[in-house]
Amino acid sequence: MTAGAHARTVPYLFVAPAVALMVVILLVPVAIAVLLSFTDYSLGNADFSFVGIDNYEDIFSRRTYGKMIASSLLYAGVVVPASIGLGAALLISSLRFAQDFYKAVFFLPTMAALLAMAIVWEFMLNPTIGSINALLSAGCGSPFWHGLLTGAFLGIDPATTWYGNACATGFPLWLGDRAYALWTLCFIGVWQAFGFNMVLYLAGLTAIPRELYHAAEMDGASSAWDRFRLVTWPLLGPTTVFVVTITTIRSFQVFDSVEALTAGGPSKSTYVMMYAIYEKAIRQNLIGIGAAITVVFLIFVMVVTLIQRHYVEKRVHYS
Amino acid sequence: MMRSGVGETFKHIVLLIGVVIVIAPFYMMVSYSLKSPSEIQTGSGGFAGSQQPFVDEYCVKLGNPETACKVRPAVYNYVTAFSKAPLLRYLLNGVVVTVSIFLIQVVVALPCAYALSKLTFYGRDVVFSLVLFCLLIPVHAIALPLYIMLSKVGLINSYAALIVPWTISVFGIFLMRQFFMTVPDELIDAARMDGMSEFSIVWRVMLPTAVPALLAFAIFSVVAHWNDYFWPRVVITGNQDLFTPPLGLRDFRGDLDGNDYGPMMAIATVIVTPLVVAFLIAQRRFIEGITLTGMK
Repeated sequence: MTAGAHARTVPYLFVAPAVALMVVILLVPVAIAVLLSFTDYSLGNADFSFVGIDNYEDIFSRRTYGKMIASSLLYAGVVVPASIGLGAALLISSLRFAQDFYKAVFFLPTMAALLAMAIVWEFMLNPTIGSINALLSAGCGSPFWHGLLTGAFLGIDPATTWYGNACATGFPLWLGDRAYALWTLCFIGVWQAFGFNMVLYLAGLTAIPRELYHAAEMDGASSAWDRFRLVTWPLLGPTTVFVVTITTIRSFQVFDSVEALTAGGPSKSTYVMMYAIYEKAIRQNLIGIGAAITVVFLIFVMVVTLIQRHYVEKRVHYS
Repeated sequence: MMRSGVGETFKHIVLLIGVVIVIAPFYMMVSYSLKSPSEIQTGSGGFAGSQQPFVDEYCVKLGNPETACKVRPAVYNYVTAFSKAPLLRYLLNGVVVTVSIFLIQVVVALPCAYALSKLTFYGRDVVFSLVLFCLLIPVHAIALPLYIMLSKVGLINSYAALIVPWTISVFGIFLMRQFFMTVPDELIDAARMDGMSEFSIVWRVMLPTAVPALLAFAIFSVVAHWNDYFWPRVVITGNQDLFTPPLGLRDFRGDLDGNDYGPMMAIATVIVTPLVVAFLIAQRRFIEGITLTGMK
């Protein structure tokens, strides 16, 4: 081989492994998932047949899957806004000391295995030996806390408030009660995602040039709120778009805490998409329906990502 | 002056409430891992428990005299974690899997990123579009087909099943390419003049210059795979020898017989500690790394 011919093949040698793996590990599986979603395939069975859109019809008509979509959307709808972290980032960046301390502490949950921490939370939320209900009921016995938390000090009747009621009739089972289970998982999700988002905002804040604040002040933006509205918020646009999309995608993927703590229950109240895929396709070997849920999930995530790209490219101000 | 002092105090109060909520489970995890079963049940003993020796009933059941079965809670919890559950094995698996994944990802991504940023060849735009398209595909969405493919070739319950799906990181390619774009072409031309082959340029010129980006990517990759529970849960079905740390913890929790909360919390502590400690030692780097890899 001549030197010239060699130089022409080198780039292909460099990209070949990556391209091959992208095709085999990413593209082919997506195609397989789409294909299988139209079948009644199950592992170990030699034959299977095409069932058309039956699987999809199931997803959009059966109550179980309705609950699945609803709980996935509710989970994302609660976790995304609640874990934005901009407020904390603004507070921390305006401090004169201890900034690094807060940054480090709030970031800790990002480093810790969610499964392990979910089990610890489960333990703390345990109705009999957990510390949270113990703490809450201790508050019932103290006139100060009882008054404060029920709003009795404002003249509200304790019996009409959540806390007053709980003091009288007992605190919830949290993960065992379908009215609370998903909310409890949301809380764990927010606990985990918050610091990561906050750090992204802190990075975005340090990238804003100081001069812009001075310029805004010269133009008459005197209050902190004006400076935030005119400078900080627009310049954090790309960060916000990124934080919202990545948190949305991660929320759709929630699995660890669901599988370990509630297994989709009680009465399917925490039956999120990722868990449904796992339960249907892997546990029950109903690959077809699992594949259809996978495709729905894939579409959700792709739409979110494309919206993000659109905003980042077209709408958002860059500094 | 007074006013801003009050404002500052107020901010600290708000943030400290957040700190308590963030720290609480870590505090409880370590605390439970040190206490005896009865202290856990009654919620007594403060942070570290009284460390009064108690009788290990399992040991008595085995026919040992009670006096020989007295153990200190902290010792009991951690010894049980490492003996009743093969925690060392899990940790070793975790290290093998995370390190292999990262190394293979780099070996695959680096030459590709170099070619995409510094070499011209027919089809380069197609390859780059492919990378951008693959960035759209969430790993969770391909889990099921990959599981089927791996089981068809008989690789379920193997290290390969834990590693192979993660060998390609499109995100890594993208990140490295962005980084290489900022490397001046003169550096590469000079290396070529010195008679270096393209292959050695990748590993001896580009790799050293890319260390900051690689470090950021390493953090991202290791944190994700050390903590991953979903994929191991799917492909490792019951073969304890292949359990990664989170799977081991899940398994231990699965066959809890009443009083093993202490050891379970000890396992959780041991799994969570390496990354948390690494983070606390090198926080600045970690946060820079996460923002760098996270942002683009």
